[in-house]
Amino acid sequence: VAETVRLTLFTLGVAAAATAWILPPGIAVGWALARRGWRGRSAVEALVSLPLVLPPTAVGLGLLLLLGRTGPVGGLLHRALGIEVAFTWKAVVLASGVVAFPLLVRSVRSALEEVDPRLLGVARTLGRGPAATFFAVHLPLAWRGVLAGAVLAFARALGEFGATILVAGNIPGRTQTLALALFQRVQVGREREALVLAGVSAALAFAAMLLVEWLSRRRERTLER
Amino acid sequence: VVPFEPIRRLLLALAACGLLAGCGEREPLLVFGAASLADALEAAGESWRAAHPEAPVDFHFAGSNDLARQIAAGAPADLFVAADRERLEAAERADLEAARALLGNELVVVRSHDLPPRTVSSARDLLAFERIGLADPEAVPAGVYAREWLASQGVWEALRERVVPALDVRANLAAVASASVAVGVVYGTDAATGSLGASVSVLYRVPASEAPPVVYWAAPVAGGNPAAARFLEYLEGPEAGAVFRRYGFRHLPTEPEPDGG
Repeated sequence: VAETVRLTLFTLGVAAAATAWILPPGIAVGWALARRGWRGRSAVEALVSLPLVLPPTAVGLGLLLLLGRTGPVGGLLHRALGIEVAFTWKAVVLASGVVAFPLLVRSVRSALEEVDPRLLGVARTLGRGPAATFFAVHLPLAWRGVLAGAVLAFARALGEFGATILVAGNIPGRTQTLALALFQRVQVGREREALVLAGVSAALAFAAMLLVEWLSRRRERTLER
Repeated sequence: VVPFEPIRRLLLALAACGLLAGCGEREPLLVFGAASLADALEAAGESWRAAHPEAPVDFHFAGSNDLARQIAAGAPADLFVAADRERLEAAERADLEAARALLGNELVVVRSHDLPPRTVSSARDLLAFERIGLADPEAVPAGVYAREWLASQGVWEALRERVVPALDVRANLAAVASASVAVGVVYGTDAATGSLGASVSVLYRVPASEAPPVVYWAAPVAGGNPAAARFLEYLEGPEAGAVFRRYGFRHLPTEPEPDGG
């Protein structure tokens, strides 16, 4: 039981950290994609969505090549700062963030697009600059959609497996999340424990999706008003 | 009026969670061990912890090939106990000058108790089975040893298409124990340990004359915690030796392998 609680807390922690680090770039990219009329928008859109449809193991391999000791980024961090990323909790946070990124961007983009452009025009004519308009009017008006996207990304990060196991391994007490522990328990025939972990994962995912549902229901009502 | 506050609060909460996840890190000695050592090394670690509360030790068990790859990529291991010499060398960062042959083991053919009993009295008898469970014979030591045994007995070519590869030897044992495969090759110690071991019967013990010797190698990892050398010394000593023998391993430092074995 103590082990299950520890695993759950660790998993919630890394999923939260993953959501936190992708939030700023996710909002930035979502905003860029919500703006019309620039060249290469479709290409960027497709590129950003890639982790959604790529095998997560391919994402994991890419991250491993990048972040391993011999990789360009991992090697630099190791030599310059003595920081290890691969096979530590940092790799779990990175991998689950990358895989969850497209879900966040898509939600942010549609939330920003739904805001009535006349309101933004009004803000600009009243003398607000573009940045101020975005942070004081546009983002606040879209906050439910952004939040729903963040929760969706969080839920995806909770269950991340394929990319994580390649770049972070499955090290008990260091990088093992619920999904990884579940896999390991099945591998060694401890199916009862695996079932408990599956139950916990399902409960967390259900709660997160309920929250997403509730947020988007509220959003529709706000828009209708 | 402007509902921006919730977003800021969410950001703060997320950042706090992220920091907490980071602060939870401690740095005990981390030993990477072959999957077949899971029970025996844990038990040896228990008595080490009792005697050395100042030097806590954690374990990570998986196929030695997986561990070697992880160590080569910079995983924070301090000591590596691999199920064969090749995997120890593949780890790249293992200190080969300090490497020790630590344990000996044997291969056995096992089958689930839930299936009707069969007899196997040679490698050739495995040809009667449609599928055979092995740890991945391309990479996992238990599977590589098994492949070498079957090849030396001249049946590997006939059997290779029937192999169901597993990630490590314990996963293979689990597959056999659940009767997912009719028969499998694991280490003698796996078949003698835990509830999985109890749910299979040994059909055949591979004699030393038929197969390469199964030898576990241990070495500290370069750049790791210096306490690794002390822990390795302890693993070579008589106290840990008694623990390993209890789990069915041969403890090589206190009971050298007979010549020509």
